[in-house]
Amino acid sequence: MKILVPVKRVADPDNANKVKVSDDGSRVTSDGLEWKMNPFDEWSLEAALRLTEDAGAKKRVGEVVLVSIGPKDEVQTIRQGLAMGDERGILVEAEDDDLDSHVVAQVLEAIAKKEEPDVVFLGKQSADGDSNVAGTKLADFLDWPLVNYAMHIATDDEGKTFTVKRELDVGQQTLKVTAPCVFTASDRILQPQAIKNGVTADDFAYPESDGGRYASLKGIMQAKKKPVEETTLEGLGVTPTRVNAYGSFTLPAARTGSTVFLETVEELVEKLQTEAKVL
Amino acid sequence: MANPLLDDRLVQLLLEDVLDAEALTALPHFEDHGKETFGLYLDACRRLGREVLFPTLRPMDLEPPVFEKGRVRLHPSFREAFGHVRELGAISATRPAEVGGQQLPLTVATLAHAYLMAGNLGVVGLAWLTTGAAHLVEAFGSDDVKARFLGKMYEGQWTGTMALTEPQAGSSLADITSSATPREDGTYRIRGAKIFISGADHDVAENVVNLVLARIDGAPAGTKGISLFAVPRLREEDGALVSNDVQVTGVIHKIGWKALPSLALGFGDRNDCHGWLVGAPHQGLRMMFQMMNEARIGVGVNAAATASAGYHEARLYALERTQGRALEARGAGEPVPLVAHPDVRRMLLRQKAIVDGSLALAATTAHHADLAEHGPEDARAHHQLLLDLLTPVTKTFPAEFGFEANALAVQVLGGYGYTSEYLPELFLRDQKLNTIHEGTTGIQSLDLLGRKAMARGGAALQALGAEIQQAIAAADAAGLDDALRAPLSKAMVRLGKTSMALGQKGLAGDTLGMLGHSVDYLTMTSLVVVAWQHLRLATAAAMRPSRGDFEEGLLRSARYWMATELPRVEHLAQLCETNEPSYLEMEPDWF
Repeated sequence: MKILVPVKRVADPDNANKVKVSDDGSRVTSDGLEWKMNPFDEWSLEAALRLTEDAGAKKRVGEVVLVSIGPKDEVQTIRQGLAMGDERGILVEAEDDDLDSHVVAQVLEAIAKKEEPDVVFLGKQSADGDSNVAGTKLADFLDWPLVNYAMHIATDDEGKTFTVKRELDVGQQTLKVTAPCVFTASDRILQPQAIKNGVTADDFAYPESDGGRYASLKGIMQAKKKPVEETTLEGLGVTPTRVNAYGSFTLPAARTGSTVFLETVEELVEKLQTEAKVL
Repeated sequence: MANPLLDDRLVQLLLEDVLDAEALTALPHFEDHGKETFGLYLDACRRLGREVLFPTLRPMDLEPPVFEKGRVRLHPSFREAFGHVRELGAISATRPAEVGGQQLPLTVATLAHAYLMAGNLGVVGLAWLTTGAAHLVEAFGSDDVKARFLGKMYEGQWTGTMALTEPQAGSSLADITSSATPREDGTYRIRGAKIFISGADHDVAENVVNLVLARIDGAPAGTKGISLFAVPRLREEDGALVSNDVQVTGVIHKIGWKALPSLALGFGDRNDCHGWLVGAPHQGLRMMFQMMNEARIGVGVNAAATASAGYHEARLYALERTQGRALEARGAGEPVPLVAHPDVRRMLLRQKAIVDGSLALAATTAHHADLAEHGPEDARAHHQLLLDLLTPVTKTFPAEFGFEANALAVQVLGGYGYTSEYLPELFLRDQKLNTIHEGTTGIQSLDLLGRKAMARGGAALQALGAEIQQAIAAADAAGLDDALRAPLSKAMVRLGKTSMALGQKGLAGDTLGMLGHSVDYLTMTSLVVVAWQHLRLATAAAMRPSRGDFEEGLLRSARYWMATELPRVEHLAQLCETNEPSYLEMEPDWF
């Protein structure tokens, strides 16, 4: 099985207070930010690894190709994924400011057509833009079936079809899809037995985790030697057509207020009604 | 906000600006590495330290190992946490490729592993002991011994221990009595008792290999008759693991490092304990000492890491917790955060200066170790000299001053600091071991003054003086204030003068006159060496294109060190030179 996993770097969400807006408000500045792999991408990356390995024997049985779009140092995000076990990477060089979800989906469409994976597995959204659009657009462009917020995946027919549970506000929905297809992941995909790939023993349980697996030093050394193909929008024959134009950015107002301790629930309800006006 | 354990910015500054770790990759031994592999490994250790190890610290402290039916059972979450450390490859990270390692520079490993140690030193301790024991097998073991033990140890499938101490001998290894009787098959039968052996039994890996010091029957008395043996808990026989007659005789009830069991062991109660000689007979201590640098740097890193974790705990608390009014507001206005009070800032800055100085020192010493072993041929002797000189300081300063830093962290939290609801008290207990194991502070001071400082006519001190002069010149070029440079220059001259005076007493046969104040001498050397670290950190900060919070903080902690600690050098020098007699004259009955 071959899975394409798009990964993006985002400003470290733990240091979100360092994100600044340029003086004229036209853009978010990235100076001095610490970068991290988009946590939502880490979920899909981990799920893709689980789909393509024999976990008991610690053996790879499929291929995961990472794609990242952005400035040259995005290659570090790819290397991080390669150190976790993925086979190879593709870096599409582009300026962050020239991208939006539409262009990203255009690029991924071009790569998917070239690479012909069984699955493109995306994060459901990126932790910076929070748009939650690229996966849906990509499936639309490719005219492939889409399963958003996948929380449980079982491969059938040697990977030609999948039974996928998705997580919805109202409950769970189970779908059967045929490859090639597009998935995005919910965090439940990281549950110890959320992936059944027909190779790893059915009773195998991964450790509880809220992110991707840890890279080993050996994996890091191997990652250095794994191929990362570099290309450009032009090289892929993509004519970017941005559909989003950014007006201006402002930082949220600093939090104010203080902690008040109340004696009774009645008091709390009253304050929530009259002061906070949330009830 | 979560405790970061270490300040990532400091680690980056040390590796990139101060030590230029990337330059090491020009050396053949490190050529497979690059900035990228260093960065990814640091990230992996950071995540593991923060996400996996740190959350298990308090639970493991509350539920120490249990001794039942002759076996030791660790905390239920130890196995998984250790599994992560093993799979990370930390045990063999710095070892050569031919034994399964990744040839990571010790400079990088030192700082990367500091995150793990700060997270949970008990779990990392098991890995670290295994590295130390396996390294002895790698360096001195015969092919047969290596084939038997090495691979499994470096993979973490079997763990290792250092079984030196005996109940009646303590730190005095010359007095050990464990015995080894040669057998025709080339193995030995080991008999004896050891105490304080960390990690000698547990339920998180299949087997344990103890590196045991013992005397072969008929060996000379004293340190010249001690040999080294690999003595596994289980030995392989016909493809199966069978008992090797190593018994746990007791669990030590420690005040800290509770996750990792410290045990009393009996070898050969049934006269069936097989040992494999490592290296030549009677060379045990010599071999052990050759490996000592790495273990002692390891203690220093651990001490720095524990001080760092405590400091960040106190810092975050002081930034958030409001209490009292600002001094200048004379009791009016809103409550202010603790950090607004001058004395709290004093306590935080002192911790920061100790932590930053300790981490810089550990990384610098590791850097000399890398260059002494793998650097250009003609420079190796120079780095070895500095490595030898800096090792007792790197072992001791972070441990002694780190304990003070950890006590200050308790103090910053006030009444809450004195409770087990908060972590500083735990760090304080954990830290204390570092002044004791791998050679106590007293032993380190004798090593520094009696051996290292005097070796080759004081060549190491001269090399240190030259390094410090270079740092002063660089600080000058970076435009640093004379108040940061001049006191260090003066203190180094004073250290040289005191060393010469003490050396002359030694040459004249007045051993007690020379060594009576050896710990004061070690403290004095530490203050100078750490001032040198602060000057380099401040220089690197000043050279940065723009000066932010982090850089301002480094410049202030350098100034603090020069202004408050370096003046102590003169006083300590006088105590050493005059061999101030108060305690030397004390008769036992006068206590």
